[in-house]
Amino acid sequence: MTAATLTVRPQGRRAPGEENPKVRRRLSGWWLLLAPILVFDVVLFLTPLGKLVASSFADNAYQRVLEDPLVLRSLVNTLSISLASTIVTVVLGYVIALVLWRAGNVTRVILFAVVLLPFWTGILVKNFAWAVLLQDNGIVNAFLQGIGLTNAPIELLHNRFAVIIGMVHCLLPYAVFPIFSSLTAIDDRLGLAARSLGAREGSVFRRITLPLSAAGISAAGLLVFIISTGFFITPVVMGGPGDMMIANQIDYYARQLTDFSGAAALAVVLTVMVSIMVAVYQRVLKAGGQHEDN
Amino acid sequence: MTDSNSFHFDRRKLLKAAALTPFAGLALSGCGAKPAESAAANKTVTVTSYGGSYNDQLTQTILDPFSKKTGIQPTLLANTSLAALKAQVQSGDVQWDLVEITAPEYETAVAEGLLEKFDYDIISDKGLPGYAKAEYGIKYLSFLFVMAWDQKVISDAQAPKDWAQFFDQDKYNTKRSVYNQLSDSSVLEAALLADGVPFDKIYPLDVDRALRVLGHHPGKDRLLYHAANQEPIQQLTSGEVSLSTSFNNRINAARTDGAKLNFSAENAVLAGDYFVVPKGAKNKEAAFKLMNFMSNDAEAGAAFDKVTNLTLANTPALSKLPKEIADTLPTSPRLADKILVRDDKWWSENLKKTEQQFKLWQAS
Repeated sequence: MTAATLTVRPQGRRAPGEENPKVRRRLSGWWLLLAPILVFDVVLFLTPLGKLVASSFADNAYQRVLEDPLVLRSLVNTLSISLASTIVTVVLGYVIALVLWRAGNVTRVILFAVVLLPFWTGILVKNFAWAVLLQDNGIVNAFLQGIGLTNAPIELLHNRFAVIIGMVHCLLPYAVFPIFSSLTAIDDRLGLAARSLGAREGSVFRRITLPLSAAGISAAGLLVFIISTGFFITPVVMGGPGDMMIANQIDYYARQLTDFSGAAALAVVLTVMVSIMVAVYQRVLKAGGQHEDN
Repeated sequence: MTDSNSFHFDRRKLLKAAALTPFAGLALSGCGAKPAESAAANKTVTVTSYGGSYNDQLTQTILDPFSKKTGIQPTLLANTSLAALKAQVQSGDVQWDLVEITAPEYETAVAEGLLEKFDYDIISDKGLPGYAKAEYGIKYLSFLFVMAWDQKVISDAQAPKDWAQFFDQDKYNTKRSVYNQLSDSSVLEAALLADGVPFDKIYPLDVDRALRVLGHHPGKDRLLYHAANQEPIQQLTSGEVSLSTSFNNRINAARTDGAKLNFSAENAVLAGDYFVVPKGAKNKEAAFKLMNFMSNDAEAGAAFDKVTNLTLANTPALSKLPKEIADTLPTSPRLADKILVRDDKWWSENLKKTEQQFKLWQAS
């Protein structure tokens, strides 16, 4: 996303080190301007978060949840479903972003509507719509049987395949926009220059477009993965009992077992796990970037 | 800063004031609210049940007449949950006054000290049948866990007579939807009944055997799970499944709305729910008054039984019912030897363990 930010140069720049007395005086009460958001964050976010972390240490909660075979399973599910959804989403999102980037105005408006409409639709509505399409007597199965491809309904719903479809549909806008904004930041003249020197479309894409939109891809991947790990409704509506993710397990601990400290411990485990993965991801990206520079 | 004594509006002061406004709001929220609340106490009562058609029936037959008689204004909410009750009690901000929970949940709530003792000076126990009266609640409702079918696919003549037929994949090539919340689902009992275990040998429940039976007949891939009581109605009417477990009142309500569904009361499992008052409830007395009305008012009780086909713990109501209605109630003597009575004690002792085992089985 950083690739797309505009650099606006302030008029009448001063030499480095020179101070503007006017600006300094105006900023002296800056912390008061932050007070509303600070209060908001401390009261409504940090305090409950602190309480949650504190309560997770009660009654051997960590030992209890980590010994639960269902928890281990749902952790593995969370990682594998999130990874699969992220890969599919980023690939599809990239294709859509490319088309958006190259499309004429009318096509672009229509495509934006197609990407944004699901974005504005509630997740429950989207998932139930998919369930209606994919169920045994649903439209997809009716069509497959109608054209004679199958003679009995095939299992499209209540499995991992359905969960990933449902998640990708929800996640797509989060991939399209970062990638699209990194694409629009690419100077068109680079492509023109490459073509004028005889480069084919494939190598223009491989050597110019793809490397220059890499920042968008990595931002999209990160965003989509983090959102994926917290999915709750989609595994319930579209998955089977074997596709439950960690959020479902937290719900089970809180609501069914009324084991609040266990639920808190699980939430902390998820947060720590995702934080570690994000840190590793960024480290790998940085290393990759340095390689290219050399 | 030098002219701080003057009344000039200065932008910085304004900003400072604006920035501090949230603090003022916080400070204010601490006081002022309380006195108004206590003045209104016991003029209203917040009741929480499951929702859907059942909530409509409860409003129409019990809450409206109660409100007319006493002037207390009830509010009925859906999606009752022990977890929410516990969170309210622990945070000291109790919103609910009367809460429906399952029998095993009742035992848990008592053990964790989340409930108010019932005041049988306010609630007359004259109308209560023996099984209903408890120290921290009233087992106010009895219902049947039944097998239900879609009449568009399975006619009543071809319908399953017992659980063995219900789960028989050779007889019915369809998916079956079963209720997965074991705290009031009797699907494991149903599996054992299907395997030929007689009513009086069901408890203590042989969970391994029940799961083995379900794994063979109908097989895991032929089972769908529902977690809410209105779901099977939707699954049956949409044709997603042709057989499902459900509760007798839900099927009756759907039939009244024109759905082509039916159920069998034979081989059903009789279970019950409690009404309890969370510790620290703001309108405790109003809640007890409502319980008194619910357990003793013959007219309201009879209307409830008639509309829901469930038994309210209200003995005077039974005498007001025509025989053909009384015979269809879950607690009807006519059904006594054809149904299994759920063992609340076994479930309250084994719920967590069994639920975990059931979930693991589903997931593997």
